[in-house]
Amino acid sequence: MNIFCDECKKNIATVFLTKVSATEVSKVQLCEECAKRMEETTEAANLLAFLPHILAGLQGVDEDVVEEVLPGELSVCDICGTSYNDFSKMGYLGCADCYQAFAEPLGMVIAEFQGSEEHRGKVPGNASEGALLRRRLVELERNLARQISQEQYEAAAAVRDQIREIQGRIEGASSNGR
Amino acid sequence: MAARSPVPTAGDWLGSKGPGYPLVLSSRARLARNLEGLPFPGASDEEELERARGMVLESVSRGVAEERDWEILFAEELRRDELGIMAEEHLTGPSFCEEPAAKAMALGPGKAAGVLVNDEDHVRIRVMMPGAQFMKAWSEADTIDNRLEREVRYSFDHQLGYLTACPSNVGTGLRLSAMMHLPALVVTGDIGKTIAALGQAGMYVRGLYGEGSGVAGNLFQVSNRRTLGRSEEEIVTEMDTVVAQVAGNEKTARKVLTRGPGLDLADRVYRALGILERARKLGFNECLELLSMVRLGVELEVLTLRDFNLLEVGAAVAPYHLGEALGVEAAGEDVDRERAVEVRRWLDL
Repeated sequence: MNIFCDECKKNIATVFLTKVSATEVSKVQLCEECAKRMEETTEAANLLAFLPHILAGLQGVDEDVVEEVLPGELSVCDICGTSYNDFSKMGYLGCADCYQAFAEPLGMVIAEFQGSEEHRGKVPGNASEGALLRRRLVELERNLARQISQEQYEAAAAVRDQIREIQGRIEGASSNGR
Repeated sequence: MAARSPVPTAGDWLGSKGPGYPLVLSSRARLARNLEGLPFPGASDEEELERARGMVLESVSRGVAEERDWEILFAEELRRDELGIMAEEHLTGPSFCEEPAAKAMALGPGKAAGVLVNDEDHVRIRVMMPGAQFMKAWSEADTIDNRLEREVRYSFDHQLGYLTACPSNVGTGLRLSAMMHLPALVVTGDIGKTIAALGQAGMYVRGLYGEGSGVAGNLFQVSNRRTLGRSEEEIVTEMDTVVAQVAGNEKTARKVLTRGPGLDLADRVYRALGILERARKLGFNECLELLSMVRLGVELEVLTLRDFNLLEVGAAVAPYHLGEALGVEAAGEDVDRERAVEVRRWLDL
């Protein structure tokens, strides 16, 4: 899956266009600049759905900052030899270390596309016990808040007990030096 | 000719009815993972790809396939038409067929679960379910994931989660999709509004065969776009909500159709049926469009017909499936002729 503009292949796509005809729905993804240009052409008349999809993370990032970071295109991942420029063209990274090698420009790409830069999901089983417990704690706290808002007090009490137990285990794990 | 393992017959999920049927035909959960210490498949050389394939398939046979048999298919050993058949049954995407080198597919019983090796990422766990069953599909994929994880180490970062070849999958690596049949929204012209709303809600809308495919038979694939910053459960909940809303829109559109001039709807449906009944040559897209209209007629009780599942018949009349029935050399016109026969057989016309 590519996350760059279909037109200039350089900027991150933030505008998603959907073209609906009798036989086909096709998608075009564009950066704001190319989208503005396209809007003025007749192409736009064919677009049943015009979706200016500015992602949450984009707010506050002005164009100058993007321009400044993009010379990072010259950087190359030491491990696999993929350059940031390769990534911009192809949309694919070469290896896990690319995430470190291109941390700065890639961080912005991820924030824009994903609307977040922080994983809140599953942690592998071989992660440290403390990390797993903390993740579980976050989940339970969310459940608790939801149950209280839905006035499911009995279920909430059970979740609260689980939270106390996990808090105890986290303290135990950290005092054991883990 | 060397003996080869035949491509198994269509999966049970394809023709089954689940919750939300007939608006939601199937659900899919997909997890993307990569092996630690190896470059992603796109940047790997032959030896690295073979190593990755060996490691993943070994972990499948040790960790997942211990109780029941899983079938292992090496992509480069499959014929073009066998690969095509798998794609038509939504088991693989187009890249699996176009560049089969060092790719593999481990298929679980009934073909509902599968592990795709060396596609965009080293590991793609895929679980299909009939109807809207996102939680169940995800938790089955998660179980397979846990078992594989006992055997291999995945590339994982505490900040960014599971690291994937494309940052659009980073984090949970979870993409949930629903295959929805939305004929009334298309007929009333409200589909554009629904697609716009889905885009704003951070969802992808695609055609029958996913990314890059056109829409046929008023079948739309709806999936979550963001994979980072939310837990798997949150993604499941979002999917449940969004799919229910789209189904609600389709129901409203169906009410509009039935409240409108009854003759218009009946005319559309019976015209479609008439062509299916009488045509001696049918193109694939045309056939799906007609089947979709006839299904709508059955569901709105405009006509009575033998029950059929659009996805199941859709796969059965797809080009590679018909080609197989006719022999590999079959050309377009033969396939179109066979399609007209095959569709009458399915509908008992």
